[in-house]
This record gives sequence, structure tokens and C-alpha cells, in this order.
Amino acid sequence: MAMSVAERSVETKMQPPGIDWRGRVLDRAPFLVACLMLALIVAIYGSLQSGVFTLDEINLDTAAAMTLMLAATGQTIVLVRGGIDLSIGGMISLGTVIAATRFTDDPSTTALWMVIILALGFLIGAFNGLLISLLKLQPFLVTLATWSILNGIAMIILPTDGGSIPGWWVGFASAQLFGLTSPVWMLLALLMFWWWFRATGVGLTIQATGSNEKSAFLSGVSITRVNLVTYGLSGLFAAGAALFLVTQTGAGSPTIGKDYILPSVAAAVIGGVSLFGGRGHLAGTLIGAFVLTLIGNLVFVLHVSSYWQPVASGVILLLSVLASSVAEKAARNRVQ
Amino acid sequence: MDLVTVNGLSKRYGGIVALSEATFSASAGEVHALLGENGAGKSTFIQILSGAVQHDGGSILVEGQDYRTANPDAAQARGIAAVFQELSLIPDLTVEQNIWFRHEPKTLLRTVNRAEMRRKTLALLDKYNFPTLRPDQELRRLTLAERQIVEIAKGLAKDPRILILDEATSALPAREAEWLLKLTRQLAAEGRLVIFISHRMAEVRAIADRLTIFRNGSTIAVHEANAVSDNEIVTQMIGRHLDRLYPERIATATDRIALSVKEFSSGSRLSGVDFALREGEVLGVGGLQGHGQRELFQSLFGATKASGTIELWGKPVSINNPRQALTGRDGIALVPEDRRGQGLLLTKSVRENLTLSVIGRFTEHGLLSRRKEADLVKEMVDFLRIKAGTPEQLAGTLSGGNQQKVIFGKMLLTQARVLLLYDPTRGVDVGTKGEIFQLMRELAAKGYAILFHSSDMPELVHVADRVLVMRNGRVAATLEGDRISEADILRAAMLESEAA
Repeated sequence: MAMSVAERSVETKMQPPGIDWRGRVLDRAPFLVACLMLALIVAIYGSLQSGVFTLDEINLDTAAAMTLMLAATGQTIVLVRGGIDLSIGGMISLGTVIAATRFTDDPSTTALWMVIILALGFLIGAFNGLLISLLKLQPFLVTLATWSILNGIAMIILPTDGGSIPGWWVGFASAQLFGLTSPVWMLLALLMFWWWFRATGVGLTIQATGSNEKSAFLSGVSITRVNLVTYGLSGLFAAGAALFLVTQTGAGSPTIGKDYILPSVAAAVIGGVSLFGGRGHLAGTLIGAFVLTLIGNLVFVLHVSSYWQPVASGVILLLSVLASSVAEKAARNRVQ
Repeated sequence: MDLVTVNGLSKRYGGIVALSEATFSASAGEVHALLGENGAGKSTFIQILSGAVQHDGGSILVEGQDYRTANPDAAQARGIAAVFQELSLIPDLTVEQNIWFRHEPKTLLRTVNRAEMRRKTLALLDKYNFPTLRPDQELRRLTLAERQIVEIAKGLAKDPRILILDEATSALPAREAEWLLKLTRQLAAEGRLVIFISHRMAEVRAIADRLTIFRNGSTIAVHEANAVSDNEIVTQMIGRHLDRLYPERIATATDRIALSVKEFSSGSRLSGVDFALREGEVLGVGGLQGHGQRELFQSLFGATKASGTIELWGKPVSINNPRQALTGRDGIALVPEDRRGQGLLLTKSVRENLTLSVIGRFTEHGLLSRRKEADLVKEMVDFLRIKAGTPEQLAGTLSGGNQQKVIFGKMLLTQARVLLLYDPTRGVDVGTKGEIFQLMRELAAKGYAILFHSSDMPELVHVADRVLVMRNGRVAATLEGDRISEADILRAAMLESEAA
């Protein structure tokens, strides 16, 4: 029966080879929308303010956005895994207060503490991942709890904003190489990192687990290990964000970290990273971080109340979510 | 020597015994079919063999060595790969990324060597004569059949000594199914062992060298495939004599039109379908796969947009979403194609699955009446003979056939009397298939009107009162009485296609 049919079967539904351009554009629609938004904001900003299209401005804006970019890089990894990390707020605060109380003028001592802060970031993150795996808890709840704990510890170490950061480290953020400051080089390094990360087994495994955990498990992935690495990296990047942040503030703050939790998610979402895991690219997140930072500049040059900044950020977030859902729908209809 | 020897294998899930003292042995170079009703323990058996779960007792010897796997990786290291019915593919990765997932060729920087991966993909697809696949396409853009083919490629990519095919043909169109059967023989000829699970007897007969029959978690019999009759196999599978798979077809259709569809179109897949379904009738929808059957069912249920007119019980209606379709006693209910994805909440209990969409029926004075709910659930569980420990058992822990029964129950509780059944026996064991057909006839006799699609043509021939044959998104022919035969369905389905 089934056999005899086969002999005379007609054209199967397999599509002919070739590049599916429309599909590719649809897949990248949220990212393209983010690029358009950035272009639009830069255009408005440039028409209101002179000197926007200079190297100086690029250096300045990148420095302003770098803390968020570092935090959002970790968050992007977690989101691609299909989770969320709120504890980065606590880690950033903790990182700045340790730096502000331990860094000295002696570069070797400071370097040692930098390594300690970064290691702490990775370990605390990995601990988050372990809790999520072993206790089978929601990432939201686990990282909310660790955020609170880290915040408390930061308060104990340094109850109010203060401490000091050695001048040579503060100067790091404005150090130049070939006319570009260190934040711009860091930006390029982040993109390089992402390119490498995504092309390795580790990155692919994290993405796959975010896309479909069950399938990944059936393919032999250790979910516990994935969670360890994912949240560990997120903690590591949060610690990195803290180290960069102190070059901007010159002091430690036990409360500053919370300002980066939701923006790190927002930057990723604006850049087209899916909250359901499996999809997203760091380039999008970095553009999202630029969008959120430049909105601040725009509000400033428009001479309106700075309270309009969160309003504008919210509207942009809504627009990008809308763009991704429209694209997603169009893509799904194509499959049918 | 046998490649695999299994003795006294046991596995319990809580209070439910999935396997008890099962035995199995098979040697290299053979195609060994594993048969049994859903719930007989086949799935648990292959999950243990492929490392997805661990057994509680008994021994497994692979090439004479003790075998106890901690995870699928360890199983792969021992040369065992499984092509799962519940696919192990990643939606957001491309075809080739999926095929080589975690076994990618690497460069010096530890990154994936894409050129090498592409070369290996094409070599693999070519070697086993795979149907056309685009290596760079993301998996979520693929149809169910295409995904199944990718899953097969993924299993073969590991060059396993033992390949397990779990219901691999059930999602495939005829030509691809045929290809897979040829491939299976080729793999055996290469000296591999293929453990083949299928509910299609004809396939098993066509390719298996030997077969092992499971029932209630134990091994019932092992046969040489050519030394046993279909009847014996079926009897051993269900443990009682199955008089006949298909119930007697007593015409119960009245003159009353339950569902009338005119000029029904949707996108490029459905163009101008006309038909009328009568009260008490089982109307089959056949034809080659991908000629609008899926779209017809989806559109009638309001899950896909469509134009044209629909009349239910003589009244024109507009159905824009499933909520409108399900309204009241004059509604339409659907048993969907993908029961795991669309029909069932696997992490909810049988009770919740049955009553979630009709919760309004159990309220008294605005409050939920647990007693009323329990009564109705019990009635439904008894009526459908759902094998669950208690109504609180999670739907995900039921066998495939019992999950399907829960979906039927859910549909019946909506009180809709026009039922759309899209491939309701897919991946369901022979015993439950018989029960489902019996149930369909009983419902028809009660005045339900049933639109029925099956990818297995004999089912249409033996169960439906009339058969609509679809071709290129329209009804190419309506077959009645003696004209319902596989040959007639095929002729109607392919006439134009062949000319083209």
C-alpha cells in the first residue's frame, strides 16, 4: 500500500536549493529595525548638535555606553540560553565597592584585586547556574535572590558612595591608540569575542539549549554545565562592567548596579535578542546599548526634562518588541 | 555473537512499571523490529538504550561488554544512536548545525570549520541518497517530514553500530518513507544493527529480519519475520484476539447537513473547496500529502485565515478563531496533528487537560464544583478507557495512545458536534487504533458529524462513508460506496499531477 504509492509519487515538498533571501531578511528584521532606530537617533542628534560625526564624539559615546555594553553582553548570553540574570545589579555594585576600598596606587595590588573581582564574578554567576540546575528553580527567582544578597554585602563593605579609585586606572578609559580610546577597542574586542564564542562548541551549545532544552539534552548536552558556564560568563561580564564603571565614577557605590539590570535586558531586546532563548546576536545588543545611551544625549540637547529619557527608552523598547513580533509572524506564515 | 543482549531489564516511574524483566537480543547486520502497543514499554526500552534514562534493574550487554549509560553522550560513545520520534533537533540551528551538533569539525581556534562541515554534510546526504535538504536552512522553517529526515541524518552522522528508528516513517510522505525503508536495508547490509519501531505492519513485514514483541513492559515473543502471520503478531501484541481492526461500517448519515463549505480558500494552499458533511457521517479527506488537507482543517477550526462561506447546521457562521469554532453545541472541535505541541498540556493532569477549556460547565452559583467536574472526568475516562493511574496523573506520563484519548475527551467535552480529526491515529498502537475507529463509528451513530484525515490510506478506505480526494487545494473527487479504494483515491489524487 504505502509502497506502491511511492513508485508514482509526485513532487515532494522539499524546496529547491538556493539562498532564501526573504527568509534571511525576516530573520534579521529586529536587528535591522534596531539599526534604523540608531540611524534615526544619530540623524536627529546630529542635526541639533554640531560635531556629532567626529572621532571625539564616537570615543565619548562609546565610553558612556561601555558599562551597559559589558553588562548587556553577559545578559545576552543568558538570554540566548533562555534565562535571565538580575544578579548582575548586585555584582556590579559589589565590584565597585571592592574596587573603591581595595585598589591602591600600586598597580600590582590593584591588578590582583581586579583578578579577584573578575573571578568572584564568574564564581557567583556559576553558583547561580548551579542553583538553577540542581534545585530546578526559575532563573528569575534565583538571580533576584542573589542580587539582594550581593547588594547587602556591598552595603556592608561600603554603606555610602565613596572610596577612591587610583588615577592611573581612571585614566584607562581615556587612553588612546591610533586615535581611538580604550572603550572603542573594547567594543571591537567584544564583537571579536562574540564571533569566536558563537563559532565554538560552547556558544553553539548554549544557543541550542536556549532554543530547545529537551532536544539539547537528547543530543548529549549537560544542562548543568551549560548553566554553570552561561551564568558564570554573565557574572564575569558584570564584574568587568564594575571595573569599567569605576573609571567613570572614580568611586564605589553600593546601589549603582540596579541601574543596569533592566537596561541590559532592554538593550538586548532592542537589538533583536529573543527573550525565549535561542536567538540573538551581540551586535544587536551593542546597537541597543547605543540607542539607550544616545537617547540620553538627545534628551539633553533638546533641553527638556531628563525624566523624558526613561519615557523615550520605554517607547523604543515597545517599538522593537513590536517589530520582532511582526517579523516573527511573517516568518511563521512562510513555513506554513 | 549478538551485538546487544538484554536480560531482566526493569524500569519504574513512581508507581508505574514501565518495564519488567524485558529481554532482547539482536545481532549486527539485521533489521530488528520492535512491536507493541503504546505503553508496552518500547519507548522506555529505547530511551534506556540511547542513554536518555537509566534502568533500575537487569543487564545490558553491548558487544559482550556491560552497558549502563549515564547520558546520550555515553551511548553515542558506545556506537548507539537514536532517531527519536520526539525529535532531538534544535529549532534555531541550521540543518547542518543540527546534523553535526556537538560533533562539529573544528579549526585551530576551536571554532566550527564551516567549509568542512558543509563538505561532510553533502557527502553524508549523498552517500545515503537523502531527499533534497538545504544545509543552511534553519530548522524551524522546515516541515515535520523534513525535520524527521534531518533527525535521521543526525543519527547517521555519528556512524553508529546500532541505529534506533522510533516511528521514523510516521511523519514521512510515501516516497520518503519508501526511501527510509531502502536506507534501513542498506544500513543492515553495511553490518549495522537497525532497531526499527513502527506501527505500520506492512513496513515491518517489508524490511524486518526478526521481530520482538513487547506487552505490558515484558517481552512476549521473538519471531523470524517470515515465519509468523500478521494475525499472530497482532494477537500477541494486544494479548487478546482482535477480531478486526476496522469496525463494521453501518451507514448512520441522515439528510441533515451539519457542515456546508463553499468556495473555501486560504492562501496558496486552499483554493475553492466545496463540500457538505452530514449528520452521522464520517467523511474522509485523502490525497497526497501537502495538497491542502492540513490547511482545510486549520481553516475550518479558525486557526488559519480563510475566505468562503461556512454553514453549521444550516446557519451561516464566521469562524475567525478557535474560540468561535468551539462555541456551544453548534461548534466545531479539532483533534490536531501535533498532539504534544498543540493538543495537550503535558505538565498538567488528565483532569485538567480534559476540563481546562470547558471550565465554565462545572460552576454552580459562580463557584467551581469539584464534584461535578470529577463526575464528568470519570465518565469521560471510563467512556474512552483512558489508562491512567488516577485522573491526577500528568498527561505527559501517559502512552501516546492514551494521550490521544485524552484529546478526544477534551474535544467531546466541548459539546461540539462537528468533529475534525486530523490524523488521529498517527503514532498510535494497533489496539488503540481499533478503539479510536470504533469510537468514531459510535459518535457518528450518536449524530456527530466527523471530518477525518489520515495519512494511512487503508484507514480512509475502511472507516469513511465517503472520501474527498484533495489535489492542489481543491476537492478533485468525491468517492462513495464501492468506489472507495486505495486505487481510486490514488487515481484521483495523482491524475493531474502526473500530467503536469
